[in-house]
Amino acid sequence: AATLFTQMRLSAVEPNHVTFITLLSACADFPKAEGRSFGPMVHAYVRKLGLDRHHVMVGTALVKMYGKCGEVERARVCFDELEVRNSVSWNTLIDGYMRNDEMDVAVQLFDEMPQRDAVSWTLLIDGFVKKGYFEQALESFREMQVSKAEPDYVTIISVLAACANSGALGLGLWIHRYVLKQEFRDNIRISNSLIDMYARCGCVELARQVFDKMLNRTLVSWNSLLVGLAANGFAEEALRYFELMQEQGFVPDGVSFTGALTACSHAGFVEEGQKYFNLMTKKLKISPRIEHYGCMVDLHSRAGNLEAAIKVIETMPMKPNEVILGSLLTACRTHEDTAVAEKVMSRVVDLQPDVDSNYVILANLYAGAGKWEGASKVRRKMKALGIRKTPGFSSIEVGPSIHEFVAGDKSHDDAEHIYGILQLLSHDLKLLGYDPQANEQDVYQEQ
Amino acid sequence: SFSSPEEAEAERRRRKRRLRIEPPLSSAHRAQQQQSQQPKKPSQGANEFKLPEPVSALSGNRLNLHNRILTLIRENDLAEAALYTRHSVYSNCRPTIYTVNAVLNAQLRQGKFADLLSLHRFIIQANIAPNVITHNLVFQTYLTCRKPDTAMEIYKQLINDAPVAPSPTTYRILIEGLVNNGMVEKALELKEEMVVNEAFSPDPLIYHYLMVGCVKNNDADGVFKLYEELKQKLDGGVVTDGVVYGALMKGYFMRGMEKEAMDCYEEAVGENSKVKMSAIAYNSVLDALCKNGKFDEALNLFERMLLEHKPPTRLAVNLGSFNVMADGYCLQGRFKDAIEVFRKMGDYRCSPDNASFNNLMDQLCKNGLLADAEEVYGDMDGKGVKPDEYTFGLLMDACFHEGRIDDGAAYFRKMVDSGLRPDLPVYDRLVDQLVKAGKIDEAKSFYELMVKKLRMNNESYKFIMKALSDHGRLNEVLQLVDAMLDDESIDVNEELQEIVKGELNKEGRGDELDKLMEEKARLKAEAKAREIEEAEATKRRAKISIANLFPPKNKEVETGSAEENDANANEAAPAAAESAAGEDQPIEKATVSGDSEDSKDEVRA
Amino acid sequence: EAEPVIPVASLADLLRLCQEGKVKEAIELMDKGLRADYACFDSLFGLCSKLEDAKKVHDYLLQSTCRGDLRLNNKVIEMYGRCESMTDARRVFDHMPERNMDTWHLMIHGYANNSLGDEGLQLFEQMRKLDLKPTEETFLAVLSACGSADAVDEAFIHFKSMKNDFGIDQQMEHYVGMIDVLGKCGFLNEIEQYIEKLPFDPSVEIWEKYMNYARIHGDVDLEDRLEELIVSMDPSKAAAKKIPTPPPVKRTAVSMLEGKSRIAEYRYPALYKDDPKLKELMELKNSGYVPDTRYVLHDIDQEAKEQALLYHSERLAIAYGLISTPARTTLRIIKNLRICGDCHNAIKIMSRIVGRELIVRDNKRFHHFRDGKCSCGDYW
Repeated sequence: AATLFTQMRLSAVEPNHVTFITLLSACADFPKAEGRSFGPMVHAYVRKLGLDRHHVMVGTALVKMYGKCGEVERARVCFDELEVRNSVSWNTLIDGYMRNDEMDVAVQLFDEMPQRDAVSWTLLIDGFVKKGYFEQALESFREMQVSKAEPDYVTIISVLAACANSGALGLGLWIHRYVLKQEFRDNIRISNSLIDMYARCGCVELARQVFDKMLNRTLVSWNSLLVGLAANGFAEEALRYFELMQEQGFVPDGVSFTGALTACSHAGFVEEGQKYFNLMTKKLKISPRIEHYGCMVDLHSRAGNLEAAIKVIETMPMKPNEVILGSLLTACRTHEDTAVAEKVMSRVVDLQPDVDSNYVILANLYAGAGKWEGASKVRRKMKALGIRKTPGFSSIEVGPSIHEFVAGDKSHDDAEHIYGILQLLSHDLKLLGYDPQANEQDVYQEQ
Repeated sequence: SFSSPEEAEAERRRRKRRLRIEPPLSSAHRAQQQQSQQPKKPSQGANEFKLPEPVSALSGNRLNLHNRILTLIRENDLAEAALYTRHSVYSNCRPTIYTVNAVLNAQLRQGKFADLLSLHRFIIQANIAPNVITHNLVFQTYLTCRKPDTAMEIYKQLINDAPVAPSPTTYRILIEGLVNNGMVEKALELKEEMVVNEAFSPDPLIYHYLMVGCVKNNDADGVFKLYEELKQKLDGGVVTDGVVYGALMKGYFMRGMEKEAMDCYEEAVGENSKVKMSAIAYNSVLDALCKNGKFDEALNLFERMLLEHKPPTRLAVNLGSFNVMADGYCLQGRFKDAIEVFRKMGDYRCSPDNASFNNLMDQLCKNGLLADAEEVYGDMDGKGVKPDEYTFGLLMDACFHEGRIDDGAAYFRKMVDSGLRPDLPVYDRLVDQLVKAGKIDEAKSFYELMVKKLRMNNESYKFIMKALSDHGRLNEVLQLVDAMLDDESIDVNEELQEIVKGELNKEGRGDELDKLMEEKARLKAEAKAREIEEAEATKRRAKISIANLFPPKNKEVETGSAEENDANANEAAPAAAESAAGEDQPIEKATVSGDSEDSKDEVRA
Repeated sequence: EAEPVIPVASLADLLRLCQEGKVKEAIELMDKGLRADYACFDSLFGLCSKLEDAKKVHDYLLQSTCRGDLRLNNKVIEMYGRCESMTDARRVFDHMPERNMDTWHLMIHGYANNSLGDEGLQLFEQMRKLDLKPTEETFLAVLSACGSADAVDEAFIHFKSMKNDFGIDQQMEHYVGMIDVLGKCGFLNEIEQYIEKLPFDPSVEIWEKYMNYARIHGDVDLEDRLEELIVSMDPSKAAAKKIPTPPPVKRTAVSMLEGKSRIAEYRYPALYKDDPKLKELMELKNSGYVPDTRYVLHDIDQEAKEQALLYHSERLAIAYGLISTPARTTLRIIKNLRICGDCHNAIKIMSRIVGRELIVRDNKRFHHFRDGKCSCGDYW
């Protein structure tokens, strides 16, 4: 497009606003190199013509271009200079801030906007989802409903992603019902998102129902279900769908194989796993990514074959990451081989000295083997390096809201009852662990 | 123990007031909002007593739960009823003590005592405060299971600490139970200690239980004393509750005072008598007549009872009446009549339980009427009564008595096949008979059937070994020992070894046992060694592979430059970490984020 | 919202709302300054069932000219009793310039209905100290308080004193009140004894009351017998479809065979090796849960370690899920880190104890815990 434009200028054809919008969009689509250098040039040209201030669409295109190129400050300048702004301009700038991790400014702008449309809301929600602020995303969605803005299918997809991540099954179900009443109810992407959401909330059955009801399916639909089944431990079914998708003429991609391999490692199908891995690399020429190697290491580790697992690590072209080493360590644990584990770990710690989970795994490993000095050494090292364990938190959806807990949490309204029920549970656990029914046995004998 | 009932009542109320530091209002309020009642102080120990919830707690969802459990009880799915009750404790709808009591009550009437005690302990732990009904059910359980001491201990706790008052029924249960457990003295003591409830005192039924206890102990004076005491408590008038008259008659009969006994009879059931006769009262009088040679009077009375019986308004006979009459006929040697009267109970809407079947069959067998007993046994199925160990045991013994060894063995097998659990002595009697009859193979097959299930003792093992050896089947003895050595639950101790050796020595094969045992020990040791070696080998292999993967430290120094390169490569660690996270969320990457990205642009464009 | 001129609501509007039972709207009008009159208060006090509303309406009464009205104050007491706040009721009671018998009765009933029968009885004592002569109504309230205070003996004492000390003839309702006392206090069998001694023929209603208590206390045999009796008196009471009660295994109470059964001679000698109970026991022991303190990564002593395990975030989430949802519904937990081995072990057994499927999604995989097992096959 850039070359074409240069030609156009040379041929002295006067570019109009349509030209610029097209050009700027082109720049925005290549934010890495070309856009970065060429964009400002176009801007300069546009400025000469004064289009940047007077023409709202051109100005907005500029804002978008800078936003996507990571120069949100310049985008802001363009925005501020615009004489007429429409909601698209606002939305574009908000998107720019969202993309550049400036959530606060984005939210502030959102609040300042004279009129918010569905796109504005969607941008906000999607921005939150992308940055992992799922709670805020859901909160915004609720506000959106209060404001009576009708969500479109893009909004729905974003919200479903938030549901999937935060486990808000209740809202997910509500959205499913909502979707069924909308025109876009058969949208494949929405169905895919629903499958993903259900699978990631642990409702495999519902995920499958959505899948079964779909009129048309894409590879993503199959992958979503496949990976969902595998992650939930329904290994055999996952593999059945893996075969089925090929029968129906879909060629599995890397994600499909992640699902299939996960399923194999879950069910301990070592041979099948190996077979799929070969199929992927040799026949389909898909170069395996680290997660595929991860699955293979996991597969062998679970089957108790430490050697094979290590062989995979040796042959893979990239460095093992913590997930892979975690699998290996778990295998070490089953072998109760701390010597090997120490070796692995010392290497891991050298590679990634500030990743807390490595230390945690190692410390647990020592502790598991009863090597207390080792465990406390790791702990001391963590302290010395100033590494803190990421606080663990768990969440559960009850009714309309999600409740989050950290260990030893007493801040919840129902803390007293929660601790009460835990006491009772712990008592029951001990009963099952120790000698539960001594006193009943007596009676039983003499009945 | 308090000096007056008023004082006792006042103390209980004081206790309750203390417990009610915080009125249960807030929890009741919660109930409406969230239908979730949790104990106020969940951490408090099981020993601290709590007030039971009032009847009004049984509303809304908790009432629905109650009804649901009652349905399960009627469907006789007690396991599910108990389980659902437990699971409801871990829910937003905790069962009330009323629901728990319903389950406990059902478990008691089906003889599921171990389950009952287990559920009871669970609800105490879960801080569901028991009420008087709960206590009564527990007392009844312990007393039925012949654990009167435990029952009394819990009773003491109840009196001393609990905010719940015992009811008259509590004392009925305790006193009846103590008497049935042969603890008449203790029962008499308890009567003195009773926290008397003015409105229901004195309780003739309690006097009845105590008098029956005295009769059992041949203590006629005790009977008379109790009767006088009851009379006095009723201001010296006539005892209008007929329940005590049967025992009183027995007291007179015991002393040979037949006239007084029959006067008593007249007073209770005579034409102008004001005495009220319940079925229990009748049965007790009926029993006194049958056992003391007044069978004609008994027949008359029974006839009258049957006429009076008009359920549901008037209940004059029950299962006990027929049991008493069947026993009475047997005592007269009129066995056919006994069977006939027993079978007649269905016409009066009474149904037998297995204890009454066993009782009749026992009488028949004792009198050499095995065929009749077997016929009665045939009736059980039609009445929906399942034979128990006692039923089969007595039939087996009776068969042996008549020399029908195979039939006896068949009853034993049937008992085992129907999932019942005969005692070791029953098994011992069986093999004893079989061996005596020279049926060594059968004896051996029963041994093999039972040795897997039943924990036998040395005598049982010795018996079968001796039987085999006596028939010159030493090889089988060795096979038996072989199997015993493999069974971890059997201890082949020195005594047994000596016996086996002794038997083997008789044929000069004394050292074979030692050989066998050495061989076993060797095999075990070998297996163990193989296991260890296997584990070591895997470890070694793993170590070698690891060593290959990561070169030792000193080498790392040499390859320092390579290390650095590695480190540089990992400068982009966040990216690596992200791809690692990607493994956990492949779908998100693949579908949602990609999708919405594209489509959003479409929308905006 | 458009801003048309809000028409000034009139007293008539308020009264209409009250009559239609629209408490919320009525209170809103009053919040805007509209003053309620006697009739409005009268109707509102009868309607309020939320303490918050009750307090508001009561406040408006205190600001009004009707504040001293005896009848309205009685209704306030009744209202607070309904809203389960006897403390508020008592405050009103204590500050009343004048009281009538109704006031006392409402207070005692209020206490009884709120499981504070004891306070009700104390109030009755106070009443007598003031030489107020109790009426038939008073005793109904007192009996109700006795039932709530678990005070059977006192109920009988008061019942007797009606006639003896105050010359009041006991009415049918008082006898029924006594049955309620017995029923509420768990004196189930004693109800029958009491009914037998009644000076009149017990009506179907009385038997029905008794049957209802049999049902409440879970005595199916008694319930069946009474139902039969009731149907014989009034065939229209027959329940359409009733599951027949299974026969009991033993009829110890009526068999006359006590002490004759020699079952112990034939049964349960030593434990059977294949005893299902024993087996289950062994199985549980094998899968047994002993807090595995090795997984706690803090420097704390042993006991504290066990406590820390107990309160790991996933367990807190599960516990909250349990007390907030119906029995046997599935719970879904999401954890940001990997589930620790100890929790994995504990949750496995928990799933069995609580009879639910527990689904935990950690940052690595899903764990579907059901009936003591996990879908991950113990590899986490």
